[in-house]
Amino acid sequence: MSDTYREKLMLAIALVLAAIYLFPLYWMYITALKSGSAMFATPPAFWPTDPQWQIYGQVWESRNMGRYIWNSVVIALGAVTVITVLGVGCAYVLARYRNVWVDIGLFLILMLQVLPASLMITPIFVGFSQVGLLEYPRLAVILAIAAKSMPFFVVLVRATFMSVPQELEEAALVDGNSRIGAFFSIVLPLARNGILVSAILIFMQAFGEFVYSKSIIQAIELQPASVGLNSFMGPNTNEWNNIMAYATIYVTPILAIFVLLQRRIVSGLTSGALK
Amino acid sequence: MTPQIEFSGVNKYYGAYHALKNVELSIKKGSFTALVGPSGCGKSTLLRSLAGLESISSGTLKIAGDVMNKVPPRKRDVAMVFQSYALYPHMTVEENLTYSLRIRGTPKAEARKAAEEVAATTGLSHLLGRYPRELSGGQRQRVAMSRAIIRHPKAFLFDEPLSNLDAALRVHMRKEIRALHDRLGATSVYVTHDQIEAMTMADHVVVMRAGVIEQQGRPLDLYDRPVNKFVAGFIGSPAMNFLPAVGSEDGRSLVVDVGAPQTVPISTNVEPGRKVIAGIRPEHISVVAADSGLMRVAVSVVESTGSMSYITTATRPELAIVETGRTDVSAGDLIGLSFAPQSVHVFDAGTEERIG
Ligand SMILES: Nc1ncnc2c1ncn2[C@@H]1O[C@H](COP(=O)(O)OP(=O)(O)OP(=O)(O)O)[C@@H](O)[C@H]1O
Ligand SMILES: [Mg+2]
Repeated sequence: MSDTYREKLMLAIALVLAAIYLFPLYWMYITALKSGSAMFATPPAFWPTDPQWQIYGQVWESRNMGRYIWNSVVIALGAVTVITVLGVGCAYVLARYRNVWVDIGLFLILMLQVLPASLMITPIFVGFSQVGLLEYPRLAVILAIAAKSMPFFVVLVRATFMSVPQELEEAALVDGNSRIGAFFSIVLPLARNGILVSAILIFMQAFGEFVYSKSIIQAIELQPASVGLNSFMGPNTNEWNNIMAYATIYVTPILAIFVLLQRRIVSGLTSGALK
Repeated sequence: MTPQIEFSGVNKYYGAYHALKNVELSIKKGSFTALVGPSGCGKSTLLRSLAGLESISSGTLKIAGDVMNKVPPRKRDVAMVFQSYALYPHMTVEENLTYSLRIRGTPKAEARKAAEEVAATTGLSHLLGRYPRELSGGQRQRVAMSRAIIRHPKAFLFDEPLSNLDAALRVHMRKEIRALHDRLGATSVYVTHDQIEAMTMADHVVVMRAGVIEQQGRPLDLYDRPVNKFVAGFIGSPAMNFLPAVGSEDGRSLVVDVGAPQTVPISTNVEPGRKVIAGIRPEHISVVAADSGLMRVAVSVVESTGSMSYITTATRPELAIVETGRTDVSAGDLIGLSFAPQSVHVFDAGTEERIG
């Protein structure tokens, strides 16, 4: 088998897989634009003949999406802030000190990552209700998400810190800086990309978070878009085009961020991972 | 005068590993001290303890008379040049140079002026705006040096600063560093595993092995009177020849074994029958006609660089001989060897310590 032939075959396989993987997304976009009858036509149309653009405005108004999206943004930003502020220091320590306790700590952190949200929610709910955190449901969700996503962030950022040579820090110490000064003026700027990328990944996770928000936030006016989407879908729903329009409005900004930053994200992930 | 740097009874443990063993070292102000030894002997550990990057486990370390044991690096006022140069990648050359000044709150204009002055002396003036990744290896090396000399520290510490450069540049930088040291009137401690660097640059050479200082002194004293077989073999290039030998009846000569026993005169007293090691430097042996001289040996290899000829004998153990200029000896010849009795170093076969 010649090399070019092999390459073409690989490319074809990749395209087929990508198509399968992206099909639901494609279906979401075109269903949103279909009219009620076109939606249930057999065979289904793969391209809307009469796109219903006004649907976005209607859904935005009728579902009060502005409020939902705002809540999602508040929760995601809150979680990213908590995780970044606490996680960067943690990752740095885990990157710079090597001993048995650090290894045990790292192992426990990775263990946390394994536990599913649906399992964690019961103890979290009970605990939060006891300390009265449920009075502030968005804060409670922020803390729960932070606890859930922190390990992922710490592991990624630790790898970034490990790729910053220790000698640079030592040079800064000998040059007259303190440990903290060296961290802020040398290590942090060099790890900035990795931290940014990890924070963006966390933001995207938190923006779509559902389990904790659904369980903890009862008041509709505080619920994020993920919960709003869920309550849109009753048992006998047939307004799929409206739901898909909602989903489109919800995910397109995140997709756009990802596409814009994808080169940086991928290089950030690997440059941290390789060293 | 109090020494600029003083280690007394310094020990360093990494867990159970004893990395520095009872180090006694005193470094005079304005001197250039080289630390040499094989890989892993503790040179970097000693230097890093001096900079405060490692803490010592016991003993005292003084800089300019003040005890430094618990003082953090930033308060020791030393400058260090790392083997990897450790230039800050996100800063321009100028920012790299002025980093230490900016931390101390030197005004911008003043720092800039200092950077320009230093850059002028190290030939970096046209590179001040570049980032380290845009420089060649030699230029990076200069930036690392300049960053050290921009303030006037109590001591300069170098950890193998030339090992990433090619041979020609290394020889050139050797002279430059030494000239810089003299011009600044600095106190320098220079780590290298290259004994030629140590011998040519330093006033004071410290030879280490496995965390122990084996010998220290002026370069030529180490060359002339190594205290043990290790130092004798480490200092000098090509390395000294070592031959098993026993003291002969008269006490003033040795019977060496190079396949066949041969008697050679020495300048010290060795008890008859004592097992020793005779050491003789390749450059102290001269080639004479086969029927004269102290030994008769066969030649196995002759290598010539034009200015030097390196002869290896077919004896067991082999002997290395260096002759200046060209030689008409070729492989397979029988030659005679001669050397002065004073040029034979005698070491005890058991302890490997010098005798006499
Ligand atoms: N952080 C550490 N933890 C444990 N052992 C260490 C540590 N740093 C150094 N060592 C050990 O201490 C010994 C001395 O190391 P050091 O780096 O001082 O050697 P060196 O003389 O500089 O060698 P080289 O010429 O290879 O640089 C080595 O055996 C090394 O394994
Ligand atoms: Mg070293």
